[in-house]
Amino acid sequence: MLRHTTNWVTKPANRVDGPDKANGAAKYAGDYRVPGQLVTRALRSPIPHARITRLDTSAALKVPGVLAVITSDDFVDHGRFGFPVADNFILAYQKVRYVGEGVAIVAAVDADAAEAGVNAIELDLEQLPVIEDMEQALRPDAPVIPDVVTEGSKKGQPNVCLTQIVRNGDPEPIIAASPVQLDQTYATPFQEHAYLEPEAVLSIPNPDGSVIIYACDQSPFNNRGIAAAVLGLPEDKVRVIQAIVGGSFGGKDEGVYQMSAQTAKLALLTNRPVGMVFSREESIIVSYKRDASKIRVRLGADKDGKLQAAKVEAWLDGGAYSAETVLTAWRAAMHLAGAYTYQAVTGDVHVLYTNNNYSSAFRGFGNTEAVACIEQAIDEVAEQVALDPIDMRLKNIIGKGDRTMTGATLNQEVGLRACLEWVRQKSDWDRKRREFPAQNKNARYRKGIGVACYFHGMGLGGEGVDFANATIAIERDNSVTLTNGLTDYGTGARTVFTLIAADVLGARPERIKVLLTDTETAINSGPTVASRASVVGGNATRVAAEKIAQLLTFAAANLFKCAPAQVLRDKEAFIGPDEEPVDFDTVVNHARQLGYVLSAHGRWQLPVIHWDFEKGTGTPYVGYTFGAQIVEVTVHTGTGRVQADRIWAAHDIGKVLFPEGAYGQLYGGITQGLGYGLMEEVEINHGYIHNVNFDDYIIPTAMDVPPIEATFVEAPFHLGPYGAKNVAEPSMLGVAPALANAVYHATGKRIRELPLTPERVLLGHALHNDDHGDNSRLWLGYADGLRKVRITQAA
Amino acid sequence: MNIQIDFTLNGRAVSIDAPAHVTLLRLLRDYLNLTGTKEGCAIGECGACSVLLDGRVVNSCLVLAPQVSGRDVMTVEGLAPVEGAMSDLQAAFVKYGAVQCGYCTPGLVIAGEALLRDNHFPTRDEINDGIAGNLCRCTGYQQIVDAIEQTARQRAAAQVKE
Repeated sequence: MLRHTTNWVTKPANRVDGPDKANGAAKYAGDYRVPGQLVTRALRSPIPHARITRLDTSAALKVPGVLAVITSDDFVDHGRFGFPVADNFILAYQKVRYVGEGVAIVAAVDADAAEAGVNAIELDLEQLPVIEDMEQALRPDAPVIPDVVTEGSKKGQPNVCLTQIVRNGDPEPIIAASPVQLDQTYATPFQEHAYLEPEAVLSIPNPDGSVIIYACDQSPFNNRGIAAAVLGLPEDKVRVIQAIVGGSFGGKDEGVYQMSAQTAKLALLTNRPVGMVFSREESIIVSYKRDASKIRVRLGADKDGKLQAAKVEAWLDGGAYSAETVLTAWRAAMHLAGAYTYQAVTGDVHVLYTNNNYSSAFRGFGNTEAVACIEQAIDEVAEQVALDPIDMRLKNIIGKGDRTMTGATLNQEVGLRACLEWVRQKSDWDRKRREFPAQNKNARYRKGIGVACYFHGMGLGGEGVDFANATIAIERDNSVTLTNGLTDYGTGARTVFTLIAADVLGARPERIKVLLTDTETAINSGPTVASRASVVGGNATRVAAEKIAQLLTFAAANLFKCAPAQVLRDKEAFIGPDEEPVDFDTVVNHARQLGYVLSAHGRWQLPVIHWDFEKGTGTPYVGYTFGAQIVEVTVHTGTGRVQADRIWAAHDIGKVLFPEGAYGQLYGGITQGLGYGLMEEVEINHGYIHNVNFDDYIIPTAMDVPPIEATFVEAPFHLGPYGAKNVAEPSMLGVAPALANAVYHATGKRIRELPLTPERVLLGHALHNDDHGDNSRLWLGYADGLRKVRITQAA
Repeated sequence: MNIQIDFTLNGRAVSIDAPAHVTLLRLLRDYLNLTGTKEGCAIGECGACSVLLDGRVVNSCLVLAPQVSGRDVMTVEGLAPVEGAMSDLQAAFVKYGAVQCGYCTPGLVIAGEALLRDNHFPTRDEINDGIAGNLCRCTGYQQIVDAIEQTARQRAAAQVKE
């Protein structure tokens, strides 16, 4: 009865939030102004590792204009939180573990009063040895960072949070017997999310003791759960409303939850609204990063380049708190050996504690790091067997019915071969691979071209139950209101939900309004992560809309006096067997007269799969997205500067529901990959971040992004709405390793450490500045010497 | 110390008392409640706070409020012919997918407008150059360039008709 023509999905469409964003009307959390609103300033740690021996806020409370000061003592269980490992705090408790960690927050009537309040707080810190890198973390005499018992504790390495594993046969003897072997170690940097909107929240107290939090968060339900727990309130006393979010890319989870709980507490204490807005420097110093990694890849292949076995071990610098790096590591483990078939694979990904800020979710979530390394390794093997890199990949990539590197059988359509063939043809690959090496060896500019491909597991997989809830209601004026428990932080998810609802209902998108996610109106759908909004949230929307569409069909049949199966649809028109078509409003009004309830709830869940974390076996994901990317570069041999000249990208993301949005995600992801490959690196020296604003932390401008030629291979996915998969994360995966492979093609230099800065390309290693924290201390408020923070050496 | 600042804002005369040390960005956001203009870095690197000052694009985080006395300031809110609607360039941003999270959008619309007033037929390279002072983390710039390029064509076509 329900037809699946597509009147709106897959066609050109406007973003639902586009006009308000283009004309300046859209309100982000930092744009709200409410009467009586207080501002906040934070006392933050000026050193990477210390015991808190004294913290006295009494003098701050006497400062004129200061209304409240909070510390870890103001929260239940000292504000301890964190999933899967509860090792983090809303404000530092007993110890500080990274530079910039919050110790106390002052709420005051204006910024000057708040700053004076912070300067009145007395804090004594007893310095502890600093773990500056992963090697130091593993030393037997290393100071222990976490205050929880870790997996590594049992093995005498307490700074090893845990190890995520894959066990698919035994690769050792196979690699040993392989005529072609590779054993190389690669490194990737800390990356800053650099969302253009610095973090902001606003908490408003209610007379009944409950609180409303407007936040630039990614997952409002997680935010509510944490805030309620640390505030000691039932969840229904905490309402989290997601404001319009100015970009996230995985970056607005834990840090924004801390801000939310902090401001909520201050709002409840003062009975005034409390806003907190980060400066860019505060954002970069305080917020978490993409983990830095070292990945050792061992591969065995036969003489023709057929891959036999892989043994891969990775170390992720999780920093001071494990946050989501535990899950990042799992996803990294599931993809370590790439989109290829092997006889045997093992993978081990260790999450380490250091005093380098802390790491958590960032677009690609572990696979970005994995692809960056394995795709260079594949090129290195291809060279050993004198195979063209694309031929090497075509010989080894997974297809339908093959076993992936984890040992699970791939049971879906796979567009990877088509992706590789498309980029090969469009880029004129074969000619360029042949001709570029013939360039004059002494030329100032040398050209190169490189490729990378990937697979990327969809949704949470073994990380958790993957479901979403949507509601839909036809209002009195026949407009349609949608909610979804999954959110839109700039991705276009609300537009995708609108188009699906329009299509299923047969209602113009202009009738439909998707509410911003509000924990009081939407239904909990878990976290909005892992590029799962379109598939899981989209299906929930479809299910809800189908329920209403069915009622409307019944109403139309009643009107036409025919069987429901005889009712046909064309956009908003209902067409019966005999009479003139009637419009949407007529049918909706008739449905109401019949007493139908025109609201519905849809829930949808991905099939449950099982991964055994202890054994490292099972089915990690219900399906995968695939893609291939080629980058052509010019390298200046005198300066080492790498210029990306052109990029070709083909991605199998299933059916494309919202083309402008999908291409936008693709171009944006490619640009973040370009930054990751060429210029982006959070430089942390002795625990201090050096590049704390966009003058030092460089992200690509319009001048850095070359023309991108892209296509989507739409291999249908049986579980997706209309056959859709996902695009947000995979889009950035291939760029960095393709760049490294292109630089090798141009120069003969294999640089196994990203990003490919001029120093690395020219000298083979990075140049480090000798900043001992001047930037961080300046922006944390220590430059004028007014803070009452006393630092002593441990006895 | 407060100072009285008289200037033209989005075509209307404005008179406002504000501390002499506040930036134009803070004046717009905190004293005039025009929050369309965004703060992204406060050091003139990201362009999110771009406004037109006497028709030229400036980072409002680097301009002290008293400096605009007697001058003409145009923000993202002032571009549309009718308040709350969209200019042709703003509409093109929406149509061509140039808006994602939207935080850089006001600044980019301002930079695009300034470019189109200077250069009626910009090439894609010239557009890239014209918006190089505006960071966007979501879009990869391609669709922003599309929107500006298409608006230039529409404006040229409209002129031919007249």
